[in-house]
Amino acid sequence: MVLSMLLADGRFPAGTYAHSLGLEQAVADGLAADEVPGFMGARLRLVAEPESRIAVAARRVAHSGGVSAVAVVEDEWAARCPNPVLRECARRLGAGLLRSAAIALPSALIDAYRHASRDTPRPVALGVVAAACDLGDETLARIVLYDDAATVASAALKLLALDPAQASRWVADLAAWIDDAAREVVADARPLTEQPAPAAVGLELGATVHARRRERLFVT
Amino acid sequence: MRIGIGGPVGSGKSSLIAALCRELAAQLRLGVVTNDIYTTEDAEFLRAAGVLDVERIVAVQTGCCPHTAIRDDIAMNLEAVEELERNQGPLDLVLVESGGDNLTAVFSPALADAQIFVIDVAGGDDIPRKGGPGIARADLLVINKTDLAPYVGSDVELMLSEARARREHLPVQALSLVAPAGAQHVASWVRERQQRFAAGEDLPSSVTGVPDHHHSSHAR
Repeated sequence: MVLSMLLADGRFPAGTYAHSLGLEQAVADGLAADEVPGFMGARLRLVAEPESRIAVAARRVAHSGGVSAVAVVEDEWAARCPNPVLRECARRLGAGLLRSAAIALPSALIDAYRHASRDTPRPVALGVVAAACDLGDETLARIVLYDDAATVASAALKLLALDPAQASRWVADLAAWIDDAAREVVADARPLTEQPAPAAVGLELGATVHARRRERLFVT
Repeated sequence: MRIGIGGPVGSGKSSLIAALCRELAAQLRLGVVTNDIYTTEDAEFLRAAGVLDVERIVAVQTGCCPHTAIRDDIAMNLEAVEELERNQGPLDLVLVESGGDNLTAVFSPALADAQIFVIDVAGGDDIPRKGGPGIARADLLVINKTDLAPYVGSDVELMLSEARARREHLPVQALSLVAPAGAQHVASWVRERQQRFAAGEDLPSSVTGVPDHHHSSHAR
């Protein structure tokens, strides 16, 4: 339980503090403060939920199938993340997560995976770390979903004039949705290739526009 | 070896790095990692200065948290250093420039083997007295822009003596990049450090991540 809190904590040193997950570009395109909860909800449905499926799939094969089985999940992730900017960022974040996890949560599994892949995307890396820590599927899915919402909420404080407690309220308002989604992801018995994989086209286009901006606070 | 260069906004970190590159590029295999808050301005300044091959300068963006990127969550900077080494081959020295920050920012020993803190006379001659971990315990304290002292009403000798009093045996270097000697003294210090590091000498940085001891003794 505590290890899941450690992984979900934005203070765990894995580089996520430098990301707004598309919020900075959305705000530049006119998104207002009262529209941020809608943005967070859309991200959860279109990005974080599919990523939680990837993380769970990676966790399930990490022990039994080893590095090559996780690489298959990584390919599935890449198929769902066509934007090169977002791919690159997810791989950097994943590498950062594995680097810190190798020190904070020493495990042969993490070492083996780090040795084999230098650019593991974050959802897959979280699956590997969860396997190494014996975190359950539902806990893992919840971490992926919560982390997405919390990262956007935290970035919102730097991009919009907000009461910080209000941003936390937005995350709290999504708690029930996140719990339900985590349960549904884990209960889905279909193979990963047959599970839902929606596309967040607006976020993908926005990420490319954002990467070309001269002035920005966040990497994404 | 990795040397962190920190200090407040506008104290001359980028110009010092440019000058160090001019002094050292012929003797050492160099790389530079810049940490920008809002743009890739610092990296572009260094690339435009033509002091180093552009591929040897990489920029990390820190999501408005420059101190986090060098102390609390160094994943992105470590990734950047490793990327430099992967692409440029082994390096003798990587200079990591912090984004301009306040007086409390220091580098994690996991990121920098030694650190230089840069302040300047135009920031006010009371800065050494104000202290902070960078001023009190950086491996080298640089007081920059001494040529401006008469114009901004700062007393360089006072700054030097108060800095020395606060730092006991640790070195302080006055610097004017427009003077004939330029950055030669700082470059000599860096070269000497690097040689001792390369010879395997144990050189623990004088800065630890803990708050300024003056500060913590008050708290107790």
